[in-house]
Amino acid sequence: MAAAGGAAAAAAAEEEEVAAVAAAEAAPPLPLPGLRLVQQGAEACVYRGRFLGRDAVAKLRLPKRYRHPALEERLSRRRTAQEARSLLRCRRAGISAPVVYFVDYVTNSIYLEDIVDSVTVRDHISSVQQSGNDASSLLPLAEKLGELLARMHDEDLIHGDLTTCNILLRPPVEKLDLVLIDFGLSFVSGLPEDKGVDLYVLEKAFLSTHPDTETVFETLLKTYAASSKKSGPVIKKLDEVRLRGRKRSMVG
Amino acid sequence: MLHLTHQLELFPDRSVTLLLFNDVKNAAALRKKAMEGSIDGALINPAMIVDPFQILVAANKAVHLHKIGKMKTRTLYAEIIFNLSPNNNISDALKKFGISDSDTAVLIVLVVDREKTVNLEDVASQVEGQQVSLDELPQLTDIAKVKKMYKLTPQEEKIGTLLDGIICRMSTKDVL
Repeated sequence: MAAAGGAAAAAAAEEEEVAAVAAAEAAPPLPLPGLRLVQQGAEACVYRGRFLGRDAVAKLRLPKRYRHPALEERLSRRRTAQEARSLLRCRRAGISAPVVYFVDYVTNSIYLEDIVDSVTVRDHISSVQQSGNDASSLLPLAEKLGELLARMHDEDLIHGDLTTCNILLRPPVEKLDLVLIDFGLSFVSGLPEDKGVDLYVLEKAFLSTHPDTETVFETLLKTYAASSKKSGPVIKKLDEVRLRGRKRSMVG
Repeated sequence: MLHLTHQLELFPDRSVTLLLFNDVKNAAALRKKAMEGSIDGALINPAMIVDPFQILVAANKAVHLHKIGKMKTRTLYAEIIFNLSPNNNISDALKKFGISDSDTAVLIVLVVDREKTVNLEDVASQVEGQQVSLDELPQLTDIAKVKKMYKLTPQEEKIGTLLDGIICRMSTKDVL
């Protein structure tokens, strides 16, 4: 059985290689009918357009040519499946995330609800700072973020790529209606270590993208700690992970 | 509108058409025809449908799987009905979402090649009932039955519509 599977995988891998080479050489990859390319990230190309009578976002995973084709196929598929699974998991727990319309396991693409006229938290914070408002006006947002992440982690869902670009604000922005997106690197785990790392990733992204927002992030963490029953060990791990970071040798 | 047609974006050579009938007298005969494969369409119980989008999502997935030869059922139309279900039990899906002998309303879904002209009258004439506009679909929906079938969580109902929850389950059931 294993041998037959291996042979099939090898045959499939060869085809994938041809397709992958072709795709990698055409830039931007695989324009879809009727959809317009919005963004090309490291992982995937994001398109916007109409799908079955609705505004939708289509994410196509970019084939990575440096990977072995068999690995590439499996990884792509796994990430697509993880994303779909996590999005459903979020929604069932009452965490705002886009509705999944269609998953294509051939091209490893996923068609989702388009949160129309949304703005990323990143852009929102930038514009608030640019217009001269001081960070205290961002505290309500920080509290909402803390609550949201607490709820997500209480579901043992690790986002895996928490940045302010992966959190959207539905219009009108004042309502602070947050939507989490991009669950391609997500997984399920109850470990405080994994949750701590999830927060650490966000902290690093937050502080490097938005200068002078330490108080904002502190508020986020405070609210997180208050909202999640399991937060104690997580915050502890976060402190440990912080000490582990780059160029933080505790030696002499 | 008396019928709704949507060209599938991902499969531009295919169109999905929805026809709705009320006061249907021959549901039993229609069901028999559907099982024999002598009626060209998926016969669906409109009580389980909250919005045409639900049908389009099911049809899109069915056409996709049909094209790659990976359907779970044996026909395109059975596949559409199966895709409506939140679980992977085929016979349960056909029973719950297909029509039963006592039904008085029927939703017929056709998938047609763009090249072929389909005769909607042909299909409609086989139904002993009144063809009505799809705008009447909400009146035929049994919300309680739908909620029971799809088992939305109370938290889920706060962040989206019933349709949102339905679509999510339909599209991700094979990854769970």
